[in-house]
Amino acid sequence: MRELINVIYWITWKDLRCELRNRENLAAMLFFALNILLVFSFSFAMDDLTAILPGLIWTAFGFTSIVGLGRSFVPEVQNDCVEYYQILPVHKGAIYLGKLVGNLVFMTLVGLALVPLLVLFFNIDLGGATWILLLIFLAGMAGLAILGTLFSALTSRIRAREVMFPLLLLPLSVPVFIGAVEATRGALAGDPLPLYRHWIDLLLIFDGIFVIVAFWISELILDD
Amino acid sequence: MASETALRGILLCKSYAHYPVLTQVSLSVYAGECYALFGANGAGKTTLMKILSTLLSPTSGHVEILGCHGANQKAEARASLFLLGHGTQLYDDLTALENLQFALGLRGLSPSMSEMKSALDRVGIGPFARYRSRDLSAGMKRRLAIAKVWLARPKVLLMDEPYAALDVAGIEMTHDLIRDARRREAAVLFTSHDVDRAARVADRAGTLQNGRLEETPSPAPRSKTDARVN
Amino acid sequence: MTDLSRLINRLRRWERGIGIAAFVFLSAGLYLGLVTSPPDYYQGEVVRIMYIHVPFAKSALLAYTILFAGSLWYLWKRDPVVDNLCHATAGIGLFFTSVALVTGSIWAKPTWNTWWTWDPKLTAFAVLLLIQVGYLMLRSFVDAPDREARYAAAVAIVGFADLPIVYLAAEWWRTLHQPLSISVRGLSLSREIFIPLIVMSIGTSLLLAYLLAVRTQMLYLERLLIAKRGRMLAQSTTTSPLPPPPSG
Repeated sequence: MRELINVIYWITWKDLRCELRNRENLAAMLFFALNILLVFSFSFAMDDLTAILPGLIWTAFGFTSIVGLGRSFVPEVQNDCVEYYQILPVHKGAIYLGKLVGNLVFMTLVGLALVPLLVLFFNIDLGGATWILLLIFLAGMAGLAILGTLFSALTSRIRAREVMFPLLLLPLSVPVFIGAVEATRGALAGDPLPLYRHWIDLLLIFDGIFVIVAFWISELILDD
Repeated sequence: MASETALRGILLCKSYAHYPVLTQVSLSVYAGECYALFGANGAGKTTLMKILSTLLSPTSGHVEILGCHGANQKAEARASLFLLGHGTQLYDDLTALENLQFALGLRGLSPSMSEMKSALDRVGIGPFARYRSRDLSAGMKRRLAIAKVWLARPKVLLMDEPYAALDVAGIEMTHDLIRDARRREAAVLFTSHDVDRAARVADRAGTLQNGRLEETPSPAPRSKTDARVN
Repeated sequence: MTDLSRLINRLRRWERGIGIAAFVFLSAGLYLGLVTSPPDYYQGEVVRIMYIHVPFAKSALLAYTILFAGSLWYLWKRDPVVDNLCHATAGIGLFFTSVALVTGSIWAKPTWNTWWTWDPKLTAFAVLLLIQVGYLMLRSFVDAPDREARYAAAVAIVGFADLPIVYLAAEWWRTLHQPLSISVRGLSLSREIFIPLIVMSIGTSLLLAYLLAVRTQMLYLERLLIAKRGRMLAQSTTTSPLPPPPSG
């Protein structure tokens, strides 16, 4: 158990240090999101966007995640670092969790940076639902990160990674998108919480189930 | 020289979907001994190294590391291992010092700053301690890998083509490493094409050909052309 | 040879029998369903598409369950023949899922005047189709055969865990947005309707088994052929010198 936490700590340390020094991935995600929002604001130039706004937000965020998450294992594969991890006498799920924590941090940063942009482009009124929206955002984003980190590990060692990663991730994240969009819709509309609470529960249950499944499966993927 | 077997491969076979790569390969490396593995390109040296380091599971047969079964007691077996492979295993955006810190931290070791600095000095890249890895040359990166091994002090050291990308000074450092490993009763196994260099540090040798291992009592293989076929 | 390889050999003997039985049941089922069964009071003749849609959909789910179980079995025993079975199941399952989706769409058009509806079953089948496509594409992009088997098994397991959640989410969504629903629940299950459904379901299951047996053997032989070719190539490069160039 201690070895597990040790490995998770060091991998998170390394990811945060590398990314904050390099900022390549963060910048790519942020500017990609900006571009998508720009395209959306032209494509959906209507007076009242409230009906499709939650979908727009999560589509933008979903595509941004694909750009960022898909690349999360590339530095490990580039220099044969995966081999070093494989030899460690620890369950390979620790490596998955370490990368997951790093990805969660980055995606949260990107999401928070997007909020002012969303308010700017789409004139969103957050109302009093800020904390609920934050919870929905974290739960939905975690769902994408949990599956995305797993498939990033898988696709980074095969050909045609850029094609296979979204192809595997998107169908399996359908529940995340459905749940996040409906919960966001309810929160933005100012509905009482019990009305859309089951969507948030769905997201949290999804996260719980798949973090366990992914932890177990990453042993398969990372250990030859 | 101690006679305890540190690393043992027993009747290892490996085939990829009915295509055989290794057939009934058995070898033993004793504590304090250095074993050189020769063989032409494509003979299966890297596959054998990967199996011996428990990275790859053999189709049949098993590996024992310090008495621990490679498949059933994977964690204990791996705890004593260190594999120096082809890749640099470095992160471009971390400095040399940080790379050392990371690599050793993962293994549960926390060397002090002075220990790390002296290891870097020993391999001749002391002045580059705070340089990012992307700014180091290939030879410097290999030396950094050697510094990693100095600090990790593994009981079983496996090296795949350690002479690649190293100049004469770097090769001498590798030999230093091997001699130190033997002194502290660790076992070393490495692959190479360079018979003469390997003969200087190896106690025993073997040649991999057509998936089978032929051991030679002396460090040089029976015919120098066997190992030099590239 | 493991137990399953012996099973494969047994299937090879039974293959013809299963194939003929599948043909018989499917023919009988189609005759009963399309010709002799009564038309529905509301939907008319269109309801006959149900006799194709429902059995194929059931078999598609059966195929996916076999894929899941086979993947677990492979991870436990690491038998390459089991991996061939999984590969075969995915491809055949894809065929069944496609038939289910197309017939579902054909059913929807005259009934609700739309080619597609976000009925939770159809949604889940659409996701299933994409998962199976992703699975097959993944297999073609991995180079090492044992890694290919493991990665494919990983995707199959994650996908199987995910599918019920997709269905649940789509079901909840339906209650909010009320898309038109394709369902056999509205129909009274009288004997005239029940029997053709059962016969067709048995027929499609037998068809699944037959196709599985044939395709698994195909994949197994393909692997053997690749291995043999690799062996021949390896031997030719290490031993003899190049043959003299052809003259004239």
